[in-house]
Amino acid sequence: MSTSSEHEQPMLIDIEHIAKSYVMGEETVHALKDISLKIRKNEYVAIMGPSGSGKSTLMNILGCLDTPTKGSYILNSNVVSEMDDNELAEIRNKEIGFVFQTFNLLPRYSTLKNVELPLVYSGMPSGERKERAENALRAVGLGDRMGHKPNELSGGQRQRVAIARALVNSPSIILADEPTGNLDTRTGDDVMRMFEELWLNGNTIIVVTHEPDIAAHARRVVRVRDGVIESDTINEHPVSAIEKAHEVELSEVAA
Amino acid sequence: MWSQILEGIKIAISAIRSNKLRSGLTSLGVVIGIAFVIFMGWFLQGLDFAFEQAISTLGTDVLYIDKWDWAGRKSWRETMNRPDITLRQCEELTSRMQSAEAASILARKWNATVKSGSDNYTGITVVGANSVYADIAAGVIKTGRFFSPVEDMYSSNVCVVGYDVVKNFFGEGTDPVGKELKIKGVTFTIIGKIEKQGSMFAPPWIDNQIIIPIKSFLNIYSGSNKMMKNISVAIKAGGEENVENAKMEAVGHMRQIRKLQPNQENDFAVNESQAFRDNIANLRLGVWAVGIGLTALSFLVGIIGIMNIMFVSVTERTKEIGIRKALGARRRSILFQFLVEASSLCFLGAIIAFVLCSVVMFAVVRFGEVTFLTPYIPPNLLIIATVVSIVVGVLAGMIPAMRASKLDPVEALRYE
Ligand SMILES: Nc1ncnc2c1ncn2[C@@H]1O[C@H](COP(=O)(O)OP(=O)(O)OP(=O)(O)O)[C@@H](O)[C@H]1O
Ligand SMILES: [Mg+2]
Repeated sequence: MSTSSEHEQPMLIDIEHIAKSYVMGEETVHALKDISLKIRKNEYVAIMGPSGSGKSTLMNILGCLDTPTKGSYILNSNVVSEMDDNELAEIRNKEIGFVFQTFNLLPRYSTLKNVELPLVYSGMPSGERKERAENALRAVGLGDRMGHKPNELSGGQRQRVAIARALVNSPSIILADEPTGNLDTRTGDDVMRMFEELWLNGNTIIVVTHEPDIAAHARRVVRVRDGVIESDTINEHPVSAIEKAHEVELSEVAA
Repeated sequence: MWSQILEGIKIAISAIRSNKLRSGLTSLGVVIGIAFVIFMGWFLQGLDFAFEQAISTLGTDVLYIDKWDWAGRKSWRETMNRPDITLRQCEELTSRMQSAEAASILARKWNATVKSGSDNYTGITVVGANSVYADIAAGVIKTGRFFSPVEDMYSSNVCVVGYDVVKNFFGEGTDPVGKELKIKGVTFTIIGKIEKQGSMFAPPWIDNQIIIPIKSFLNIYSGSNKMMKNISVAIKAGGEENVENAKMEAVGHMRQIRKLQPNQENDFAVNESQAFRDNIANLRLGVWAVGIGLTALSFLVGIIGIMNIMFVSVTERTKEIGIRKALGARRRSILFQFLVEASSLCFLGAIIAFVLCSVVMFAVVRFGEVTFLTPYIPPNLLIIATVVSIVVGVLAGMIPAMRASKLDPVEALRYE
């Protein structure tokens, strides 16, 4: 993927002078102060920053779960900052795939049903829904776990189900908030490899993390501090998660 | 939309199944409410059925010209002072009637003693009538026949007997035709048997009667002077639409026969089987009032119970709601999901009530020998109860479901 071709990609996220504040009784917490950010299609961005810096708040706004107090947000030519609850729900359903730190699978549902869920809300007929969910699960290597409940799976497998669920609607962006936070290094790397594959297939990935090792996989790193963007840089030497996995495999074979 | 409904129902079923005991207890109020609706409807339908049956045994288009009023406001003293209706007057009236289909003289002897061989039974009603009484209110002849005009005219000693008479003298199911009965020492040959007519509202004697020709009747009961104190006339109008006509005609004739002045009131009664309808209306009203009251109360309890459990359910599943919203569920999807869940709880209650009621009804009819009630839930009540349960579910679930649908997705996702 060359730098020049990246610039030809259409603009996906266009945030201008966004602020988000919470009124807590007497005082107002300014979680985000003034953020402007543009992200094109097929970028791989890591959002970093210390705890409480506003990463999750930004993530929620990017993911249309929340609206900014001030500023404008245009996602894939939709003016999100002016949308109501139902329009936001629709745009989340169409444009966003979420991967959460705590997986957020529905415990009573099988993995297949969990993955089908976004399609239920987009009104897809059940036959087609099932087929697409099965394909998504196969794509994350869980073709043999479709009938399992989340509590019958390992953490890494659960996160893969969550990734399948994020993918199943073919969203414009995959948003991951600390996706490896609840996983050990090995399974975390596995998840990152999966994101890299998705990115190579043309998806747009945004990962929130405070771990430099994780951010090292991204091609662009945005640092947030105290509700403002501290830096926004191209990662000159990204670490390929796919190659890293290969090396690990080779060393294991050697050992 | 259909896939949403189906989805909602599936979610509801799995939610109910994961909390079986709680769901069962919650729907108890609804179970009781629905059971009340069913029992009340069942009982009222049975009541109506029995009543209509009773009326039709008396004839829905039959008028009875009598000294006594069956129902109404006349004081006892006033009716006591009325002159008796004599045989002559009856004969006159029956021969004059033109608009009616049939008119028969009718006399009754209550509590008669009847013998057959060495057996003897009291409490039997002996009825004297004309042969046309067969078409008026004699009931359906099951075996044999009614007496003919000739037998009527020559006061033959033949009789037609009711169901219980046969049962008591000869045993249930016996063919009594040809057998003999002794009434006041006079032997009567049985020529016909009337089908069983009795039900809750029918006069209790209806199956315990013996019908004989009016002249034979008078021979036995009025002695040599042929003076039976009071007799009456039964007039079949021929269709309910003719009742008013026949009534006017009969009243006109009777006033002439009695030579009443225009300013004098009728000194006789015109009774209609319809008059009973007023009596039953009050009973119905009573059953309704009590039933509706109890039903409303139990539904209120049911609604509060379900609303409460739905609030618990919404709180417990805040995270789930957050996840669903993040994945694109709109407000109405969530609203719908919880409404379906509440309705399913109520529907569960309805099903439990159906089973319970079915068992009770079967037992009541089977072991209580209540003939006017059906041993199953009438289908229209099933539909009513189902609809009511769903409406109750929607009512009870509305507020909790609205709360769920309005949850902020970020807050909901953060909920542990
Ligand atoms: N609903 C809320 N009400 C009040 N304050 C909030 C709310 N959500 C976030 N904040 C505040 O906004 C600031 C940013 O929070 P945010 O969750 O975005 O941080 P973060 O960068 O994701 O931190 P972490 O790395 O710990 O997850 C914090 O000071 C937090 O207390
Ligand atoms: Mg955070």
